[in-house]
Amino acid sequence: MLRLHDITAGYGDTTVLRDVSLPVPRRSVVALLGANGAGKTTTLRVASGLLAPGSGTLHLDGTDLTGRRPHVLARRGVCHVPEGRGIFPNLSVRDNIAVHAAGADTGEAVDRAVSAFPVLGEKLGQQAGALSGGQQQMLALSRAYVTEPSYVLLDEVSMGLAPVVVDEIFEFLGRLAEQGCALVLVEQYVAKALELADYVFLLARGRLEFAGEPGELDAAQLMEKYMGTHT
Amino acid sequence: MNDLLPFLVVGVTTGSIYGLAAMGLVLTYKTSGIFNFAHGAIAALAAYAFYDLTTLRGLPWPVALLLAAVVLPPVLAVSLERMARGLAGASVTMKIVATVGLQLAITGALMAHYGAAGLPFPTFLPVDTVTVSGVHVGIDQLISASVAAAGAAAFFLFFRLSSLGVRMRAVVDDPDLLELTGTSAFAVRSWAWLIGSWFAAISGILLAPQIGLDALLLTLLVVQAYGAAAVGMFASLPLTYAGGLLIGVLAAFATTIAAGSQALAGLPPAVPFLVLFVVLLVAGRSRLADAGTHRPAPVSAPLLTPRATRGFAVAATVLAAAVPLLAGPRLPVYANALVFLLIFTSLYLLVRISGQVSLAHAALVAVGSATFSHLAVGAGLPWLLAVLLAGAAAVPVGAVVAIPAIRLSGLFLALATFGFGLLLERLLYRSGVMFGATGTLPAARPEHFSSDTAFYYVLLAFAAGGMVLVAAVTRSRLGRLLRAMADSPTSLATLGAGINVTRVTVFCVSAFIAGIAGALHASVSQSATGTPFTAYASLTWLAVLVLFSVARSAAPVLAALFLTVAPAYSSSDTAVDWMPVLFGLGAMLVALHEASARPRTTTGDGTAGASSRARERIGAPSAARERLQAAAGRAGGRAGPDTGRLRVGRPRQQGDTR
Repeated sequence: MLRLHDITAGYGDTTVLRDVSLPVPRRSVVALLGANGAGKTTTLRVASGLLAPGSGTLHLDGTDLTGRRPHVLARRGVCHVPEGRGIFPNLSVRDNIAVHAAGADTGEAVDRAVSAFPVLGEKLGQQAGALSGGQQQMLALSRAYVTEPSYVLLDEVSMGLAPVVVDEIFEFLGRLAEQGCALVLVEQYVAKALELADYVFLLARGRLEFAGEPGELDAAQLMEKYMGTHT
Repeated sequence: MNDLLPFLVVGVTTGSIYGLAAMGLVLTYKTSGIFNFAHGAIAALAAYAFYDLTTLRGLPWPVALLLAAVVLPPVLAVSLERMARGLAGASVTMKIVATVGLQLAITGALMAHYGAAGLPFPTFLPVDTVTVSGVHVGIDQLISASVAAAGAAAFFLFFRLSSLGVRMRAVVDDPDLLELTGTSAFAVRSWAWLIGSWFAAISGILLAPQIGLDALLLTLLVVQAYGAAAVGMFASLPLTYAGGLLIGVLAAFATTIAAGSQALAGLPPAVPFLVLFVVLLVAGRSRLADAGTHRPAPVSAPLLTPRATRGFAVAATVLAAAVPLLAGPRLPVYANALVFLLIFTSLYLLVRISGQVSLAHAALVAVGSATFSHLAVGAGLPWLLAVLLAGAAAVPVGAVVAIPAIRLSGLFLALATFGFGLLLERLLYRSGVMFGATGTLPAARPEHFSSDTAFYYVLLAFAAGGMVLVAAVTRSRLGRLLRAMADSPTSLATLGAGINVTRVTVFCVSAFIAGIAGALHASVSQSATGTPFTAYASLTWLAVLVLFSVARSAAPVLAALFLTVAPAYSSSDTAVDWMPVLFGLGAMLVALHEASARPRTTTGDGTAGASSRARERIGAPSAARERLQAAAGRAGGRAGPDTGRLRVGRPRQQGDTR
């Protein structure tokens, strides 16, 4: 299990998360929802080691990894696909996959990435920054196949993409989940996220306001917590 | 054409070494965002180490070469990487100051230990000549050029094809993302620093036989790599190497043009800086992306309240007025300190208030000094008028220095001004235009104030006037614009304020004060010369000012006192020799301290500072905690223990729920 416990974190003098605890069991899909500025991205940054918490702990499969650097968590099976396009735009697609492979056999990594997203096979020599937005996101997500992680943290991976690409990406995420990978979804397509999710966590103003199963969260509650409105 | 061939061959051999040095410089800049002003000093350090091991300790040259060029750089690289890590959150100014400080420390230590005079470098390569296309070329030159070319080619292939090379390019794109893929960005950067240091060390050892062992000269010769790096837009390694060759060849051809002409004598050594200045100006802001993030100057509470500041100013003025009664034979030292107070005041306005780094400040002082001599002695103008006109003469030069400030920012502005300062130094200081054929011009003191004591009070009046002027500027609308510009030029532009006018104005005001300081410097010593106003002096002044920046508006006072008065009270020449090392290390530590005081976000930078504050803000335990723990219990129960990792294509195990 990937477990964030009583996390308080922020940037400089600004505290973003307060006492947030987030357990992510293996093979589960967790939807992390909340309005803009609720602290979803910050939670993922803490979970991947990009941001050291001010207080609280981060445990991975029972090992305390609080304050460890991101590459340490990545090597232990945490794959964070950050907001935006998580690629190296000035590298070719092949070089991007080689970096994702982190020392493993590059040829095999390329095969796996192409098996996940066949369109990448036609673009291997192309500069990644020149790919379309959807292809860039596929390249970023291919890391989740190439590196065989136990936990994948996905931050708004559908943002700015055409609906047909979004469908393709959610299909990919479904396959990942089917194959036993735990997912943490921060997602604007709430309904799609809830379809996949085993558990849902709702953040509001840096605090966890709800934790449970999707079925326990009714629409009115979601609107109230998510949109800050009463229905 | 045959006449030019020898120069072409010479140009290619030296240019190849510049290219190699520049590639190392660009590599470390791109991967870490730190432009290493100490790159040349590392080259000098390696050359001195080689000299020490062979000439002084009698080791065979291959062993010395191994130790100086292969073993020493990793030690330096570790320190540089640590420093770069500490500077990750620093402003561009502090990143510049830190490496300038390191350069001063290394160069100062070499000069203090081995002496400032040049030493003969041991000959270790064959000195026979061979004929290439009818041109006699030294075998040592051929070997040097070949080693540099082979190193550059090998590195280019490594960078493009190897796994580590790909990671180096990845860390340039996005270090955080590289960390997320499981590769330590710090480790990759360490390799970059190591390769950069190797290239610098090899360049130093290859260049030293051609020019002898001179710490300052070697440091500045590798600085010629800046021009090559500019040709490659601080990004492209092949273009950077080509830039090195171009500079080598242009400098060699300039030698033919300048032959026999006193006016152009400084042209050949000025070529790299001409290239640097022109490329930076032509390229402009759009093509030169600063690898370091723009960060505003840190916000800190004033050390003194306004009332306490006024009290300090009054006390300092009274003390300064009493100096002639207390200083005795050291009064000229204090007079010199007042001149430097003006210099540091003008630099303070530029660097600390407007947030712009100028490394051509000594050139502005030199212009004032030379102009004063020409007007007061040459043209016979009244002393005061000559001083004021000397200040005015520096203004258009300041405006020229400000042109890069309009087109560039941060590091590139610093480099352009450094290039401009060196250009002026190489082209004009020695050409006779500024300081005459002998390099020294006579200067005079005011008629009724020629005694040391009387003249001291004249200087005190000027120093006080300069400080009042800067204080007035700071409190004026211009001062607010300058501070806003230092914080966020973009925000200021969106408010409709004329950023360019503001930039040029502050450079002109600063130049005016610096020009007057130059005139007064000439008056103090009763001679005008460019010797004290080298580009190296500009670096030293910046480091010293930043060293005392914690004292805020009192920084110019302390900087002037420590630079000029402290050595006069030292009984040991050795201590004086080591002062640049102290200044350099001090400036470096101040830059690192300022960087560490900034808010950090990533693990690599640490967040300890934020954590304690965050803890203070936490109130009672969250009511949601219990629910969460319950949810965690339920979640754990559903998924069950699992130690396996994802395998593509592996079916979901029986018992897993969805």
